[in-house]
Amino acid sequence: MIRLGVDTGGTFTDLVRLDARGLSVAKVRSTPDDPARAILAGIAELMGADTVGEVVHGSTVATNAVLERRGARVALVTTKGFEDVLAIGRQTRRELYNFMVRANRPMIEPGLTFGMTERLDQHGVVLEPVQVEELDALTEKLRAVSAECVAVCLLHSYANPVHEREVEAHLVRAGFTVSSSHRVLPEYREYERWSTTVVNAYVTPMMSRYLTALEDGLQGTKLRVMQSNGGSISAGEARRTAVRTILSGPAAGAVGAQAVARASGFERVILFDMGGTSTDVSLVDGQLGTTNESTVGDFPVRLPVLDIHTVGAGGGSIAYVDRGGALRVGPRSAGADPGPVCYGTGEELTVTDANLLLGRMEAEHFLGGRMALDMARTVERAEAFAKKLQIGVMRLAEGIVQVANANMERAIRAVSVQRGHDPRRFALLAFGGAGGMHACEIADTLEIGTVLVPEHAGVLSALGMLLADVRKDYTQTILKASDGLSFEVLEGYMAPLVARAEADISAEGFEAKDVVIECLLEMRYRGQAYEIQVPLTPTYVDDFHREHQRLYGHSNLSRVTEVVNVRVNAAGITRKYEFPLAEAVSRSLPEPVSAREAWFGDRFWETAVFHREQLMPGMEGIGPAIVSGGEATVVVPPNFRFRIDGVGTLVASRIER
Amino acid sequence: MMAALADPIEFEIFKNLFLSIAEEMGITLCRTGFSPNIKERLDYSCAIYDERGEAIAQGDHMPVHLGAMPLSVQAAIEHVAMEPGDVVILNDPFRGGTHLPDITLVQPIFVGDESAPSFYVANRAHHSDVGGMSPGSMPLAQEVFQEGLILPPIKLVRRGETCQDIMALILANVRTPIEREGDLSAQIAANRVGEARLRAVVARYGLERVRHYARAVQDYAERIMRDTISRIPDGAYSFDDVMDDDGFSRERIGIRAMVRIAGDTAEVDFAGTELQTDGGVNANFAITLAASIYCFRCLVQEDVLYNSGISRAVRVLAPLGTIVNARHPAAVAGGNVETSQRITDVVLGALAKALPEVIPAASQGTMNNVTLGGVRADGSAFAYYETMGGGMGGRNGLAGLSGLHTHMSNTRNTPIEAIEHYLPLRIRSYALREGSGGAGEYPGGEGMRREYEMLTDTSVTLLSERRTGHPYGVQGGGAGGCGVNTVLRVDGSVEAVSAKARLQLRRGDRLRIESPGGGGYGAGRTEG
Repeated sequence: MIRLGVDTGGTFTDLVRLDARGLSVAKVRSTPDDPARAILAGIAELMGADTVGEVVHGSTVATNAVLERRGARVALVTTKGFEDVLAIGRQTRRELYNFMVRANRPMIEPGLTFGMTERLDQHGVVLEPVQVEELDALTEKLRAVSAECVAVCLLHSYANPVHEREVEAHLVRAGFTVSSSHRVLPEYREYERWSTTVVNAYVTPMMSRYLTALEDGLQGTKLRVMQSNGGSISAGEARRTAVRTILSGPAAGAVGAQAVARASGFERVILFDMGGTSTDVSLVDGQLGTTNESTVGDFPVRLPVLDIHTVGAGGGSIAYVDRGGALRVGPRSAGADPGPVCYGTGEELTVTDANLLLGRMEAEHFLGGRMALDMARTVERAEAFAKKLQIGVMRLAEGIVQVANANMERAIRAVSVQRGHDPRRFALLAFGGAGGMHACEIADTLEIGTVLVPEHAGVLSALGMLLADVRKDYTQTILKASDGLSFEVLEGYMAPLVARAEADISAEGFEAKDVVIECLLEMRYRGQAYEIQVPLTPTYVDDFHREHQRLYGHSNLSRVTEVVNVRVNAAGITRKYEFPLAEAVSRSLPEPVSAREAWFGDRFWETAVFHREQLMPGMEGIGPAIVSGGEATVVVPPNFRFRIDGVGTLVASRIER
Repeated sequence: MMAALADPIEFEIFKNLFLSIAEEMGITLCRTGFSPNIKERLDYSCAIYDERGEAIAQGDHMPVHLGAMPLSVQAAIEHVAMEPGDVVILNDPFRGGTHLPDITLVQPIFVGDESAPSFYVANRAHHSDVGGMSPGSMPLAQEVFQEGLILPPIKLVRRGETCQDIMALILANVRTPIEREGDLSAQIAANRVGEARLRAVVARYGLERVRHYARAVQDYAERIMRDTISRIPDGAYSFDDVMDDDGFSRERIGIRAMVRIAGDTAEVDFAGTELQTDGGVNANFAITLAASIYCFRCLVQEDVLYNSGISRAVRVLAPLGTIVNARHPAAVAGGNVETSQRITDVVLGALAKALPEVIPAASQGTMNNVTLGGVRADGSAFAYYETMGGGMGGRNGLAGLSGLHTHMSNTRNTPIEAIEHYLPLRIRSYALREGSGGAGEYPGGEGMRREYEMLTDTSVTLLSERRTGHPYGVQGGGAGGCGVNTVLRVDGSVEAVSAKARLQLRRGDRLRIESPGGGGYGAGRTEG
C-alpha cells in the first residue's frame, strides 16, 4: 500500500511519497474553496499509474478557525455560580506596564452561558444532583439561541463524570453536538479543562465539515489526520476531538525533521525552523518532548503537544534603533508585503537585507532565479541607517544578524538549558527559509559541534505526516500521595486507560505487535503546582527525585511526593520506508558555480558558491561556502567544514580552534 | 533619537543575556516553589545586581518589587560581610524588606580573585506564612513584632552550607515549616541558577566587558526614562486620595502627592500625607518608591529592560513617620498590598492633570487579601492566603477590563478544584459583579464576587480597601463601585464586615467578598 503525506497550507499543498526509490515530492497551489482538488492534482503528479492507499493529512483549518475567530457558535453549560470562570481566567493581565492592555477575545458570546444546579465535591461525591426539569428548560434555551455546539463543563467532573454524562446524554438526544470536559481532558484545574473543552467545541463543527468534504473528494482513499502530539489519527476520531489537530503543522515538521536527523545517525538534535516572521525551536533527546502547557489564541489548551518554542523573529524581522540607542531586531516583521528592502518594496531593513549585504545570498539567484534582489536599494537604505549609528554598513549588517541570532539562541536555551539539557550534546538541524543561513553561527556561539540541513527542508511537515505513528493519549487526575501508593495500585488506576488505548488503537487497524503502550505518572512534591512525568515502575518515587534534581538542581528525599495524573500514551507503529544509508563514498566537490566576496567576522572572504543540485552524497568541502537551493540557502562560515551524507543531508561541523 | 551607544549591537546582545538570566531564575523558583503564592500566583521576582547593589536586570514579575529589591541587596551589603558561597536572608521591613511574608535571598558572586563581590543575584518570594499572630501572616497588627518572624539580613547559607541552626529557628517560628523549607530551597536553587549563568557569561566575555555592559544597560534604561519624562509638560501636579481605615481607630487616612516635572527629571513629593497609624496599612519607603516608579514605568509604552537606571530619573520624597515612610516598629503587612495601590492611584491622579489623554481612571485600588487558617478534623493545621482581582479603570479609547489584578499586583487565582482538594473550604460562587464598574464613555471594568463556605471552624483575616472610598473616574467618568465584605452565618443571619476584620467563622458559615469596580473614563453618553 502506498501512503502519502499531504500538508495543506494557505498557499501551497505539499505531497510526499517515500518508497524504495527514496523521497519524491510534489508542490501544488492550494485550492481553499475545495482543498481536495489540489490534493488530487498532487496525487496525479506524484503517483502516475500507481494507486494511493492512504493519505495522512494536516491542515490549518482548526488553527485558523481559532486565530481568526471563525469557529462555531458555542454555548457553555456550567455549574451554577461559576458562569464567569472562563471570562475571569487566571485573573491576570497579559502585560504589566501597559495601561492599554487588551482583553482576551472570548470564544463564548454574551448570552450563551448557562448555569445549572448541580455540585460535586473534590472526591466526586454528589452534593447536589442535576435537576431533570432544568434539563428540559436548558434544551429550549439552547435552541432559542441557535447554539451550534455545546461545551459541558462542570466542577470536579474529572473525579466523577456522572453529571456531565447526564447533561450530555440529554443534549445529544435533543440533537446537539456536545463536547464534555471529562472526555476532552479529565484533569483537575477547572479553567484549563474548560478552556480546552470550549476550544474543542469551537473548532469541531468546522473540522467535521472540512473532513467530510475532503473524504468525498478523495473518493474512498483512506484518510488520517495529523495531531499536535506528533501522531496521526483516523478522520473519524479527528472529528470528535478536533482540538487535538490545532498545532499539527509545526508538530509534523518536527516529526519529519527528527526522522531525517535519525537517518543521518543523530538521535539528539535541536530542531531549528526559521521562517520569515517566526521561528520554531524544539529538542529531540531520542524522542520529541511533549508539553501540556500550550496556548491557542489567548486560551490554554492542556493536551499533550510537541514541545515547540516559538519566537516572533525570522528573516523578515525589522531592525530599528530604540529610544535608548539599542539596535533591536523584531518582533515587527516586513512579512511578504511589503517584504525586505531588497525585494524592492519594503522600506525598513530586515535580517534578509543584512544577509544580502554580507554577501551571503545571491542577488541574482534568489529562489532559484525566480526573483531578483535589489542590491543598490538595500545599500542605500543601509548606509542611511548606519550613519545614524555612526558605524559602517558591514558592521551594521553583521550586527543585525548577530542580534537576530541572539534572539534565536535564547529560544534554543529555552528548550535545552531550561529543560535540563546541555545544548553542546546536541546537533542543530536547520530548516525553514532562513534556518540554513544562520544555523552555523548560532551553533558556534552555543558550542554545538554539528549542523544538519536536510535536502528537502521545504516539505518536512508533509514528510512528518507520512512518517507519523498513530498516537492517542489518555489521562486521569488521581491526586494521591505516593506514600503507600504501590505500583500495583497505580497499575489499577492505569488499567481502564490501557484497556481503552488498546481498543482504540486496534480500531485504527493495528495488530497487537505494532502497538506500543507507555504508562506515565505526572508527579510533584506535595504542595508544588507543576508536575514532572516519570514512567510507571516500582521505583517511580526514586525516579521522580532524580528527575527533579536533573531539571531544577535540587531534590529532597524526605519530602512527600504525590501523583497528580496517570497518563497512558498509545502508539500504533506505521510501516516505515528506509532512508538510504548515511555513509557515502567520498567524492570530490564539483567546480563552484561562482565565487563571491562574503563577510565573516571582520573581513571579506573569497567564498565558493554551489548549487544544491550539484552536491552529491560523499562530497566534502571547507568553509567559507554558500550552498543555494530552490527553497533555501546554507551559509558555511570559515570555521566549518561540510559534507553531503548518503541521505542527502548537508552536515556542517565546527573546526576546533 | 538619542545619542548612539558605543556598540549598539553588542549592547543588545548583553541586554538579552542579562534578562534571560533573571528569567531562568524565575522559572526555577516558580516550578519548584511550594507556597501557592509562588507557584500558582507567581508572587516573586528575580534579578541580578552590580557590585553596588544596583539592579542590572529584573524579570518582569511583580510590579510591587520594582525599585524596592535593590534596597534589599544594599541592606545585605551594608549589614553582612559576605563571603563566597554565602546566601543572605532578610525580610525586615526596616532593613531592606517590604512586609514580612516577602523573604528575599541575596547571594554575592565573587569572580576570580576579586576580594569583593562583582555581582549579586537575588530573589524575593511571598511565603504563605511567617508566623505572627494570625495564619498567613497578614494580620491586623499594631506593631511589626506581631506580624511574624523578623529576619534582619543574616546568613542562611555560609560558604555553601545551609546554616541548620538558622533554618531551625525560622522553621520553629512558622505554622507550615515543611512548606517554608521547600520554598527556601527553591529560592536558594534559583539564585544558584543565576550564579551559574552569570559566571558562564563572565567566563566567555571577561569581567570588564560584562561590567561595562552592566553599566550600559543601566544608562540605557535611564535614557529611556528621561526621554519619557521629557515628553510630560513641565509643571507641578498634585492629587490626594484616602485609605478607608487602618482597621483600628483611624478612618479616611489621606495620601497626598505633588508630582513635579522639570525637563527630563521627575520628583514625587508626598509632603502632606498623614502620619503613620497604629494599624497595618503603613508602607515603608521601599514600597512607596516601587509604586511611584511603577507609574512612570507604565508611561514608557515599549518593552525595555527594567533596572536601577529607571529610578535615577525619578526622585521620591516621603516624609519619615507618615504612612508612606513609616518608622520602626510600625505594622506594615498592608502597606505592600493595599497602601501601594493607593499610592499608585494618587501618583496617577496627579499625572492625569499633566497627561489627561494617557492616564486611565482608578482601578479597584486594593488586592482584597483573604487569609484563613485553622485546624482540620484530623488535627492538622492549615493556612491559606489569596488575593482577588477587581475592575480596571476605563482607558482613553477602551473600557476597563473586568475581574483581574491591576497596578501593583498580577498574581493568579488558585483553581477552585485545587482549593477544595487541599483546604477545608468550598467555593460557592466565583463571578463578575455586574454593575460595579464606573459609568463613562469608556466604563470601568467589573469587580468580582467569591463566596467561601467553611467546612471547619476557621479564623479569617480580611485586609481590603475601597469599601467606603470609591475608585475615582477621570475626565468626567463616574466612580467605580465600592467593594463589600459579608458573612452569611449558618443560622441564616447576615453580617456586614468592615474593610479590615478578624473573624471567627464556624463550620457552615460563608464569607462573601465582592471586589470594587474600576472608575470610568470620560463623560458617559446619556441613555436614550
